[in-house]
Amino acid sequence: MIEAVRTIVQEHKSYKKQIFKLAKSDLIKTYNGAALGWAWAVVKPMVTLFVFWFGFTVGLRAGKPVNGYPYFLWLVGGFLPWFFMQDVITGGSSCIRKYKHLVTKMKFPISVIPTYYNISHIYVHFVLLAISIALFATFGYMPDIYLLQIPVYMLMMFAFFVVWSLFAGMLSCVSKDFHNLVVSLSRAIFWLSGIIYNVNSIDNYWVRLILKFNPVTVIATGYRNAFIYKVWFFEEPLDMCCYLITLIVFTILAIRTFKRLRKEIPDIL
Amino acid sequence: MGKEVVIEFTNVTKEYKLYKSDKARFKALFSKKVPFKVNKAVNNLSFKVERGESLAFFGKNGAGKSTILKMITGVAFPTSGEIMVNGKVCALLELGAGFDLESSGRDNIYLKCSLMGMSDEEIAAVEPEIIEFADLGDYIDQPLRSYSSGMKARLGFAISVNSQPDILICDEALSVGDKEFRKKCRKKVAEIMADKSVTLLFVTHSTTTAREFCEKGIVLKKGKKLFEGDIDEAITFYEQEEI
Repeated sequence: MIEAVRTIVQEHKSYKKQIFKLAKSDLIKTYNGAALGWAWAVVKPMVTLFVFWFGFTVGLRAGKPVNGYPYFLWLVGGFLPWFFMQDVITGGSSCIRKYKHLVTKMKFPISVIPTYYNISHIYVHFVLLAISIALFATFGYMPDIYLLQIPVYMLMMFAFFVVWSLFAGMLSCVSKDFHNLVVSLSRAIFWLSGIIYNVNSIDNYWVRLILKFNPVTVIATGYRNAFIYKVWFFEEPLDMCCYLITLIVFTILAIRTFKRLRKEIPDIL
Repeated sequence: MGKEVVIEFTNVTKEYKLYKSDKARFKALFSKKVPFKVNKAVNNLSFKVERGESLAFFGKNGAGKSTILKMITGVAFPTSGEIMVNGKVCALLELGAGFDLESSGRDNIYLKCSLMGMSDEEIAAVEPEIIEFADLGDYIDQPLRSYSSGMKARLGFAISVNSQPDILICDEALSVGDKEFRKKCRKKVAEIMADKSVTLLFVTHSTTTAREFCEKGIVLKKGKKLFEGDIDEAITFYEQEEI
């Protein structure tokens, strides 16, 4: 176990420079093929937001202002981290397969792939974050001190999904079934996490508690706490505990999988 | 004469686990009872290569040649035994592979070289040489997906030989491209070998090419070493074995 951790740290150390280069090239690769290129990184989320806003406010006539903020902005608060998570839940699970030419054709450490894959997506997240803050400003809600906690949630999100990508990415190498399972569950994760509703308004305590063991919920709620509800992260100790437990469990799983499969994966792919 | 050992294999065995299906392989993650067959690609192999030596591997398909080269490159890991490799390894295995098809030739040069551990300045220094050697003309700034397979191979070869390797591994690579490019490749390999600090490992079926470049030979059969020695003797042994 400790041996495996040491290997992972060592691999990251010796490929420090390459990680950022590969993240950049992954980013360029994702958006460069199309004529509109970079615009898609922004257009796609905007379309999603519009569809949900339209469905809920115009269609279901449910979208009422929350805590003094228009419903549209409330959606933005939760969808902002979701756009990142959506990509890395399924993408993370296929990231090692996607870069199999690095694994099978040259000497390259497997553990580094999930890291740069997530870095590449966090760059897009930075851009969307800036746009979101600008959106709030155009509606007349200037950035305030609560936004300072965004980096905390961002780091939590990044940490969990690097671990997730390592774990899921390796399992997907062994079996395509696993990747298909993740893909089919990603829709479910969306509706079962507090992205389209506020988890804290669920009446049943146990349902609420179980949902909080899902980091997607904790992070989406956290972003909303910063943007809409104006709550600090240290005012939500339960959320933090649940997140930490899930993170630890997945870290152990990821390290175990790594130890088990590191030497086998180049042979399988 | 420096007697520095650059590659040393000690009792190396490489087994591939063969499961009935991917499903069985997945199950095996959770239980040890799933049955599988073992294929020994390399069986208890030991040898040493010193700096500046050139060594050829002979053997039929499935003799374990590629697996050995993969383990030296660091792509595959041995099941048991120890491998010591000292120096920058550059493999000319499957030249067209390992590129990013969406990026341009130039970007691929930078990406591939930096993955081999070169700094930006070092890459910038060898870049013109690579471009000239690959002889791609205006295609160098086009995405790789528009390249022909010959062009990709040329680029791969150019990057590999110009990245100042300590150990050069060739796997039938000298038979890519047209006659003129083949000649150029051979000349380049001969040039690299001339300064005696680079070690060459060669895998081929063509005994004439091997004789041209190598001093020593190892004959393999089903993962076992049958013969090790002077290149001429190795070729004689291999040719007899074949009959």
